Amino acid sequence: MTKHDDCDHTLTRRGLLHAGAATGIGLATAPLMFAPMAMAQERQGRILVILELSGGNDGLNTVVPYADDAYYRLRPQIGIRKEKLRKLDDHFGLNAGMVGMEKLFKDGKLAIVHGCGYADPSFSHFTSMAYWHTAAPNSGEPYGWVGRLADAMAPKAPANFLINIGTNQSLAVRAKKHVPVVFNNPDNFQREAFFEEKAVLTSLSDPGKMANPSQRYLLDIAKSANDASALVRKAWSDYRSPIDYGITDLGLRRVAAMINAGLPARLYYSSYANNAFDTHVVQNDLHGRLLTYTSDALSGFMQDMERIGRADDVTIMIFSEFGRRVPENTSLGTDHGAANVMFVAGKKVKGGHYGQLPSLTKLDAGDNLLFTTDFRQVYATMVKGWLGQQATPELLNGNFKPFEMIA
Amino acid sequence: MTVDLTPLSDSDWNAQRAAHLLARAGFGGTPEEIARLAAMGAREAVRSLVYFGKADNKHLEPFDHSGIHEPGLEPFPESRPAATDRAKKSGESLGVRAKASGNRPLQPVTNKFFYWLRASVLETNRVAYWWANRMLTTNAPLQEKMALFWHGHFANNEDKVRDYRKLLNQLELFQARGTGNFRDLVVAVAQDPAMLCFLDAGKNIKGAPNENFAREIMELFTMGVGNYTEKDVREAARAFTGWNYVDTKFVVNDDQHDAGLKTFLGRAGNFDGVQIIDIIMDQPVTAEFMAAKLYRFFVREDVDAKAQAALGNALRKGKYEIAPFLETVFLSKDFYSDDSIGAQIKGPVQLAVSTCKKLGLKAVPGVPDFNAATAALGQRLFAPPTVAGWAQGRSWITPGLLLERGNFARDVLFPDINFIPPDRYNAAPDIRQVSQRIRDGADITAATSQAEGVVVAESNMAADRDEDFNTRYASYRGWQMAIERVKPIPRATAQLNLSAMVRQNKLATTTQAVDYFLDRFLHVKPPADARARLVKFIDADLGTSELAAADTYMEDSLRLLAHLIMSLPEYQLD
Repeated sequence: MTKHDDCDHTLTRRGLLHAGAATGIGLATAPLMFAPMAMAQERQGRILVILELSGGNDGLNTVVPYADDAYYRLRPQIGIRKEKLRKLDDHFGLNAGMVGMEKLFKDGKLAIVHGCGYADPSFSHFTSMAYWHTAAPNSGEPYGWVGRLADAMAPKAPANFLINIGTNQSLAVRAKKHVPVVFNNPDNFQREAFFEEKAVLTSLSDPGKMANPSQRYLLDIAKSANDASALVRKAWSDYRSPIDYGITDLGLRRVAAMINAGLPARLYYSSYANNAFDTHVVQNDLHGRLLTYTSDALSGFMQDMERIGRADDVTIMIFSEFGRRVPENTSLGTDHGAANVMFVAGKKVKGGHYGQLPSLTKLDAGDNLLFTTDFRQVYATMVKGWLGQQATPELLNGNFKPFEMIA
Repeated sequence: MTVDLTPLSDSDWNAQRAAHLLARAGFGGTPEEIARLAAMGAREAVRSLVYFGKADNKHLEPFDHSGIHEPGLEPFPESRPAATDRAKKSGESLGVRAKASGNRPLQPVTNKFFYWLRASVLETNRVAYWWANRMLTTNAPLQEKMALFWHGHFANNEDKVRDYRKLLNQLELFQARGTGNFRDLVVAVAQDPAMLCFLDAGKNIKGAPNENFAREIMELFTMGVGNYTEKDVREAARAFTGWNYVDTKFVVNDDQHDAGLKTFLGRAGNFDGVQIIDIIMDQPVTAEFMAAKLYRFFVREDVDAKAQAALGNALRKGKYEIAPFLETVFLSKDFYSDDSIGAQIKGPVQLAVSTCKKLGLKAVPGVPDFNAATAALGQRLFAPPTVAGWAQGRSWITPGLLLERGNFARDVLFPDINFIPPDRYNAAPDIRQVSQRIRDGADITAATSQAEGVVVAESNMAADRDEDFNTRYASYRGWQMAIERVKPIPRATAQLNLSAMVRQNKLATTTQAVDYFLDRFLHVKPPADARARLVKFIDADLGTSELAAADTYMEDSLRLLAHLIMSLPEYQLD
C-alpha cells in the first residue's frame, strides 16, 4: 500500500510536469488510465476535503427538528417556524437560506449525521476545537488527525500531499512527517524577486547540521515553499469557472483549482474562520447568512467538481467544534453547547440521515444535547469507507465503527 | 526544565546580549542603540527599559483624530437590520430621520450605517499607523511591546467593536498601565467599553446571564482552561450582570445586577465582578498561567510544569506587579541562555517594525501599506482573529507566509510604483461597479443589480431585495462619505541610504559589506554556504569586489543584498 502511494505519487507529479494543468483532466486519476488496479488501489485518486465551521455552529437551527414540540418550547423566540424551513421530510427542515444543501440532500448526495460529540465535552472554543483537530478529546495530543492520516497514507511524505487553505496552519494538519502546504491567497504564494536574485533565493542550506531547532524548522518550511509555490500559482491562474460560489467561497474555489490542476494532494483542509459561528446575540439573521454562504459555497464546489469531471473522486466533510445550548439565551442567541450535526457530501455519498438526534427533553445538567455519535465514527467513515485506509486506534484514539455511507 | 532566574553578572554583558534584550523588550535596535545599551551594565540596561517613566518621548504626538464621530450614532445598532428596524419603528435612527414619503425612505439611515462602518475601519487603520510609528520611534520600547502583548492577550477586534475610539482608549490603557499591576489591569479591562462590547457583556443581565464574558475572563485572561467548573462560569456571569457601557463610558446598571448569593471557586458571598476578579487572583494557577504566558512571549515557547510553577511563584511573590517580574526575567541567566537567544520566530508586527529599525528609518513607510502588509503576514493590529489573540511561535510561519515575508522586505526596499492607497481606493469590484453605473446615470436598482449570465447564488440574489432601502447603494455611498472625512494616511516611501552605512563604516570589500549587513540584520548567523552565495551574488552584481570602485552606483546592489538577507530563514528569528 505504502509503496504504491509513493510510486503513484511520482507518476502523478511527472504527469503533471509533462502535460501541465491546462488539459483540465485530473491527473491524480491518470494512473488509472495506464494500468488497471486492484480494488484497494482504485482509491488512489480519492480526495478528502474537510471544511471547519469555527465558532460552534448552532446545529438545531441548521437542521431543525420542526416536528418536535420541545424545540419550539425551548426556543420560543429564535426557534424557526415550520413554514420558513426547507423541509427535508416530516421531521427535519433546513434553515431557509440553505438552498444548495437542500438540493444536495434531495439528490441523495448529502449525509446528515446527528448527535456528534464526545464524552466530557469542553465548552471552550479553543479546547473543543483542539479535540476535534486531534481526534483526541481530553488529551494533549500535539499532532492533528489529518496530519497523522497523511503520515499513515504516505509515510515518505511526498511534497504537496496535504493542503491547508488559510492564513494560518490548522492544528488539524500538523503532521510528524509531512509539511503541509498552507496558503490563503494563491497569487501571493510566490517570491517576488529580480531575475538575478532567483538562484540565490531558491538555494537552501542543509538544515541537518543546525543546532537551533527554530532555524531547522524554518529551513524545512522554506523547502516546502520552493516545492509548492509554482504549482499552486499555476493551478490558480489556469483555473476558470463559471460557477458562482456565493458571497464567500470558504476556500473551496481554491481547493477546486488545485484539484482541477491535478495536484497530488489527497487531503485538503479549509475553514469558515475566526469563530464566525459564535452566535451569542441576536443570532437568526446572522446565522441564516452564515448558513447561506456555507450552503452556496458547498453547492458551488460540488457543481464545479461535476464540471471538471472529478465528482466521483471527491468527498467533503463539514464539522464545527460544538453545537449550542438547546434553550435560547435572553439575548436572542445561544451559548456554547455540546453535541452537533455533521455533514458529508459527495457524489459517492449515500445521502440521508445517520446517527440519532439526541432527545431534546433529556439534556445534560447544562441543558445540552447528549451525544449519540462519537465524531470519530464520522472520521473513521472518511478514513476507511472513503479513502480505504485503516482507521487504526493510533489514528483515532480508539476503535470507531464507520457508517455504511459510501456507495 | 529549570529556569535559572539568577541575575546575569555585568562581566557577562556584551553587545550580542544587548541586541537580544532590545529585540525582546522592544523592536530591535540600530547598531548605535545596541552600543549605547551595551555600554551600560546588565542591570542598568534592563532597568532603563523596564522602568521607562523617565524616557524622553516629547517627540511623540497624541493620535490626530479625523473627527468622524457624531453623537447621533450612539448607541450604534448591532446590525444593519437593527438600524433600519429602529428607524421603521421610531422614525429615526443613527441621528437620521426616515423620509416622510417617496422611494427608499430608509436610504439615508442605511447610508449612515455604512458610513460609520467604513469610517471606523479607516480611522482604526490610522490608529494602527500611529501606534506602529510609536513602536519605531519611542524611547520606551517596552511600553509599546507590552501594549502589543496585552492587545494579543485581551484580544478585541474592530470587526466586532466597530468603534475606533473604544479601541484607541483600550490601547492607551495598555500603554499607560501595561507594566503596572495585573489585578488592576484585569479590573480596568473588565470595565473597558471595547471589551464589554466585544464579549457581549451588555447582554448579561440579572435572571438571564450571558456567559461569554465570564468564561473568557477565566479561560483566556487569567486562569486557563481546566481550572474551574461550568458552575463557576455561570456563577461568575451572575456577578458581572449589569456591567455595561454607554458610548465610551463604563456603567453599572444596578437594576440588572444580580446581587444574590454566589458560590465561586469554593467561596460563597454576594460577589460583584471586582470580587470575582480578586478571588481569581487568589488562585496560584492564575499567577502561573500569566507568568508562563509572559515568558512564552518574551523568552521562548517551551515552558513545562516545573518552570511554570517557578515563574508563577515569582509573579505571585511580587503581588502581580508586572515591571519587577519582567526585570527578573530580562536579567536572568535563562533569558541569555543558548536555548533563548535566536529561538523566537518574530511576529509580523515585530518583523515589520524591526525591519524599519534595522534599515535606519525614522518613520513607518506609507508604501507598502503597513496594515495590508502585516495582515498578509497574519497579524493585523486591531484585528486579532479570535478572542484568544494570535497563535504565536511556529504558527506564524507557513510556506506561503515565509515567501510573503521576503516580499514585504522587497516592497520596502523597492516600493511598488503601481501602489494604490487602500484608504482612498475601494478594491471591492461590486462597489466599483455600482460607482461606475451611478456615474453613467443608472437608477439605483439597475446600478446595484447583479451581472447576468452567471448562476447567481442565493446569497447574491438576497442583496437585491428590499424596497425601503438598498444595501448595495448604501455600501457604496457609505464608503464615499467615509473617505470624505477620514484623513489620508501619508504615503512616503522608505527613505533609505544603505551606501551611507557602507561609507560610514569604511567597508572596503563586498565580503565586509555582507558581514556588516548580516550582523546588522540577523541574530542567528546563516551557514557558511549561504554567506558565500551572498558574496558571490553582490560581486557579480557590482562587477567588482572593491566597494570604492562601485561607490557611485552600489545602492541598488546593496538593496538587493538586503532583500536576500531578509529572505533568509534566519531573518525570521529573534
